[in-house]
Amino acid sequence: MPKHSLRHATLLACGFSVLAITLAQPSCRTTPVTTASTESVRGPDTLETGNYTLVVHGMSCPKCISNVELQLARIRGVSKPMIDMKHGFVTITVTTASGTEPTKPQLASAIADAGFSLIEIRSGDPK
Amino acid sequence: MPAATAPSPLVLIPRVQTRAYFYEDGQSLLEQDLRLEYGLARDLSVSLDLPFYQGFFDAPRPADGEFGLGDLETILELRVLREDLNAVDTVRAAVFVGAELPTGTADFGGNSVDPCAGGVVTAIFGRHGIDAAARYTFVTGDGLFLPIFATDEGEDFVNLDLGYAFRLLPTSYGEERVAAWYATCEVNAILTIAGQSEVLLSPGLLLEAPNYAIELGLQVPVIEDSQDRPALRLALVVGLRLLF
Repeated sequence: MPKHSLRHATLLACGFSVLAITLAQPSCRTTPVTTASTESVRGPDTLETGNYTLVVHGMSCPKCISNVELQLARIRGVSKPMIDMKHGFVTITVTTASGTEPTKPQLASAIADAGFSLIEIRSGDPK
Repeated sequence: MPAATAPSPLVLIPRVQTRAYFYEDGQSLLEQDLRLEYGLARDLSVSLDLPFYQGFFDAPRPADGEFGLGDLETILELRVLREDLNAVDTVRAAVFVGAELPTGTADFGGNSVDPCAGGVVTAIFGRHGIDAAARYTFVTGDGLFLPIFATDEGEDFVNLDLGYAFRLLPTSYGEERVAAWYATCEVNAILTIAGQSEVLLSPGLLLEAPNYAIELGLQVPVIEDSQDRPALRLALVVGLRLLF
């Protein structure tokens, strides 16, 4: 009897694993952050004063908004973001002052800390 | 059930959940569960889960509203996969280890440190979300003389959970900062190595906003083959989760 139960548990666990592996085979992959479009911000890592749109993948629920806001709020010079979950756009305003220029790696790290993938940084508002 | 989602670094998520269990012969149990999740690093989080109980069983089990603590559970979770497919779709997986500590009083908890380990996969595709979790708990003690839950029997046990969530509203996200309504359904199974099992079907509703979530649900036993515990008829679940 105990062996039966454990065998059932093992079979169910295997079933879950197969489901997980199947789900983890994406039909298309996200574009890596290094593949920038013509709108992407190029040049030095430091961002200048202005509006920027971060293209973020993986924000699937309302809680994601708070996670992104909390992590971006820790970067000096970045204002409270506006988030468009449908398109994965996070619009921020960067205000630079002496010694507080935000950088692209800082933004990428904040988005990763929030639990998501930063695909691209565009200058200006979403188009 | 567990999910492969974790608070980001330095973020605290407190959650309180109330469950009312209704058993055969008019017996009942009220459970107040306090859970704290905290992000330690990008993919690493820790959680503490402490249940409080009030029993309305026939003697000699806790009766007349006798109050007691359950076992404190502590879990360390490491996210091992994050595959973000587009703006919304994502697949995540996490593994976890932890232990149940013998903090229980008044026959509501075990008397041993019981380690556990497991894994969970969460996948979200548009309005559909799937969770699948498996966990093995090594019970090092003798269990309760008068068990209440399937996990009180004193035998190692396996938790298998499968959950589905469908986003009712909004049908599509936009630029607005909105809460989302989900219809949820879980199958929660407990299998002990002694051959006893319990399978619960748990339909529910979830309202999730950027800073809080409220859940309402039922738990109905589908399989329950223990002679040692009071037979569960139904459980009601109300939960609140905050994000700081």
